[in-house]
Amino acid sequence: MQSALCDLQPTRAPADGALALPSELSIYTAAELHPRWLLWLEALPPDGAPARLHGGAVDQVDAAGMQLLLSLARALALRGQALQLHEPSLVLQQACQALGLQAWLQACQPAPARPQPAGACA
Amino acid sequence: MSPDHDTSFIAEALPAFVSEAHEQLHSLEQLLLQLEQAPGDAELLNALFRCAHTVKGSAGIFGLDRVVAFTHHVETLLDQLREGRVSLTPALGTLLLQCNDQIRALVAEAGAPGADDPEADAARAALVQRLQQAGATGPGAVAGLADRDAAGAPPVAAGATTAGAPATGRRWHLAVAFGPDTFRNGMDPLAILNYLRGMGTVQALALDIDGVPPLSQLDPETCALTFEFALDTQATRAEIESAFSFVREDCRLHIVEPGARPEDFVAMIEALPDNPRLGEILIAAGAISRVQLQQALTAQGRAGEAGRPAAPLGRVLQATAGVSPQVVDAALAKQERQRAAPAAAAGGVPEEPRYIRVQADRLDAVINLLGELVIAGAGASLLARQTRQGALVEATTHIGRLIEDIRNGTLQLRMVPIGETFARLRRVVRDTAAELGKDVALELAGGETELDKSVVERIADPLMHLVRNALDHGLESPAQRQAAGKPATGRLLLSACHDSGSILIRITDDGRGIQRQKVLERAWDRGLVERGTVPPDPDIDRLIFEPGFSTAEQVTNLSGRGVGMDVVRRNIEALRGTVTLHSEPGAGATVEIRLPLTLAIIDGFLVGVGASRFIFPLESVVEVIEHRAAQGRTDDRGRSVVQLRGAALPVADLRLLYGLEGPAPERSSVVVLQAGEHRYGVRVDTLLGQHQTVIKPLGRMFRSLRGMSGSSILGNGEVALIFDVPALAALAADPPGRAAADAPPARRNPPPPPQREAAAARPQAVKDTQP
Repeated sequence: MQSALCDLQPTRAPADGALALPSELSIYTAAELHPRWLLWLEALPPDGAPARLHGGAVDQVDAAGMQLLLSLARALALRGQALQLHEPSLVLQQACQALGLQAWLQACQPAPARPQPAGACA
Repeated sequence: MSPDHDTSFIAEALPAFVSEAHEQLHSLEQLLLQLEQAPGDAELLNALFRCAHTVKGSAGIFGLDRVVAFTHHVETLLDQLREGRVSLTPALGTLLLQCNDQIRALVAEAGAPGADDPEADAARAALVQRLQQAGATGPGAVAGLADRDAAGAPPVAAGATTAGAPATGRRWHLAVAFGPDTFRNGMDPLAILNYLRGMGTVQALALDIDGVPPLSQLDPETCALTFEFALDTQATRAEIESAFSFVREDCRLHIVEPGARPEDFVAMIEALPDNPRLGEILIAAGAISRVQLQQALTAQGRAGEAGRPAAPLGRVLQATAGVSPQVVDAALAKQERQRAAPAAAAGGVPEEPRYIRVQADRLDAVINLLGELVIAGAGASLLARQTRQGALVEATTHIGRLIEDIRNGTLQLRMVPIGETFARLRRVVRDTAAELGKDVALELAGGETELDKSVVERIADPLMHLVRNALDHGLESPAQRQAAGKPATGRLLLSACHDSGSILIRITDDGRGIQRQKVLERAWDRGLVERGTVPPDPDIDRLIFEPGFSTAEQVTNLSGRGVGMDVVRRNIEALRGTVTLHSEPGAGATVEIRLPLTLAIIDGFLVGVGASRFIFPLESVVEVIEHRAAQGRTDDRGRSVVQLRGAALPVADLRLLYGLEGPAPERSSVVVLQAGEHRYGVRVDTLLGQHQTVIKPLGRMFRSLRGMSGSSILGNGEVALIFDVPALAALAADPPGRAAADAPPARRNPPPPPQREAAAARPQAVKDTQP
């Protein structure tokens, strides 16, 4: 738990305004992530530009974590903004696969880049 | 979670598991008994399976391996029953009931672990063997298992091919909506899906993304995930369901079997929870997928846009998704019914009643406090009246009304329907009748009648003995019945109803009735009645409640267990109840039990005789009339008769009956009371009005006092005695001199305590209420 809390800290990648997903995306962190993500969402410029997420650090995922991510995507869709998920970790890709979200993940990939081959970012 | 954490969690949660498991097992038993009446009822079979499955699942969490292992065998057989591969015979019913008892014993063991018992293990192993015989080799084995009573009911063979059939990987369709508490209960749908993958291949998995609320509306710990997928597996339905065992209570799971026909979908639609949208109904039933629905809706939309009248969704679905018209019709019919239902129920999905579990001790503590509050309130009200300040009196009156409302509400919390106790007797009747070789139809009526939980708990045993007694001694064997020109199947009716402030429970059978000659001879033999004396019929009937009485020619192991009818009567009387017996030789007997609604607080009617205060339960008070001194003759025990609207009303004078001191006033009143079917009057000096009466037990000194059921403390600290109206009637009706001649010394009528003693009795009464 303690380590998960520390991992929550880099929620915002200062360079490009992108949201960095924590290493643990699960029921244990969902309640703490939720308000932070809401703040991040409010702070997003409503310019219609795709919202950027970094998924490279994710190494623990459960269905509650994926639900939170889907919920963020739904909120963005309601604002008319696309979601770009950069560098999803292998764990995140596998979770998407296990939950029948391959197509969704595919749609979230930035256009030019293809998903990392399995194992590349683990 | 650390192992320590686990251990403490288990220790804390185990009692809850044991109590819930007992409930499940109780339902299981009831369902089995119902199933015997309606074999093949799919809903009952499903419910049965779920009960067993829930017990197994939760026992697994607590690591109760014996429960899990044994219940697994039961579950397997129930699954086979459900799939029609095995059919329910009386022998199988008995076996399953025995297994239910076994599981109950195992669960109880978990609550209070003891040493291993090799005998119990052997008994369990024997049951497992019988279960396996009944199930594994299909219907033939059931016939093999059949004991004497199964001979007439050959099992129906139905598709017994699946058990050991070679695996071909059949395709199941699953739709699962995980419940909101899934995450909070520590469950992870991801893990469950992965577990399913271990069983076979998950195909076409789709998560309903639109079902997840957007971030601002999301409770991150509430699960809103719904999946649909196909599963290619050789696993059975039970095995697939077992993947969901830990979330089964909370989730909506629909499984469509491989090769399902339209009729199966129709059945599933009928069984679905209420959901008014056609498309949703069909998706939930597995008849179409969400994708197919979207396509159909799009097609319908396109038709609308093109200016053509849009075809009904049902027809579009038939065309685009290949849904059978039969299925669509069933869904439409259900939709129609659901539209009609909310209109009747004033909108919305009908909510199930919700319950909170409360420890009985806490409730009792509140009720004790409430008793004190009622007494204190009465005291304050009395003081207020003495001050003669209008505003103060009004304020205390208002408080008094509120206290009364709280009292009624709180006592209501302890009221439970008696139906559950009745239902438990089904099993007793079934087993007892089988043991005695009798054929009995049990009818239950008035199960919704409510009474105090403590009364319900304590009446169960007496009821069981009375039911057994009726089966054992009352009902004849089928041959005897036929010889007597009665139907071979005996009838036993158990009913409950409210009757003038008490509960009336009746146990009626159409057996031979009380054999008075036998009873009398036995009573002579036992010295209960002097040889040669023949008391009136009702007195003979009453003899069976006397200690040490038994008419059974051979003491059967049912009624000869050392608990006689005298104990039954004692237990009922300890509840301030009465038991009476009406018998018609050759036609049957009825035992009537009259019980108070509650043991704690009643509405009383306070009266005064001389310096003493007495309370009648208000429900028994019919009216109050003026007593005219010149009326009629009064005998030496104060009994007389007055004319009340042309009818004769017997009146008892408390002053003479109890030998109270002090001269009678010039004016007095007669309180008219209802005791069962009869009315009688009681002459009192003063009427003091309605009084919320907290019942305190009588001190040991006064237990032998006849006609009294308890005491109560008035607002000013005085003690009032509470009358037991039927007992007072019986006392007043005793023939002159009988009380003195027949009754044992303790049951003679001692004078009620003079005021001095009553005051001394108060600490005693108060002490009795201390925990």
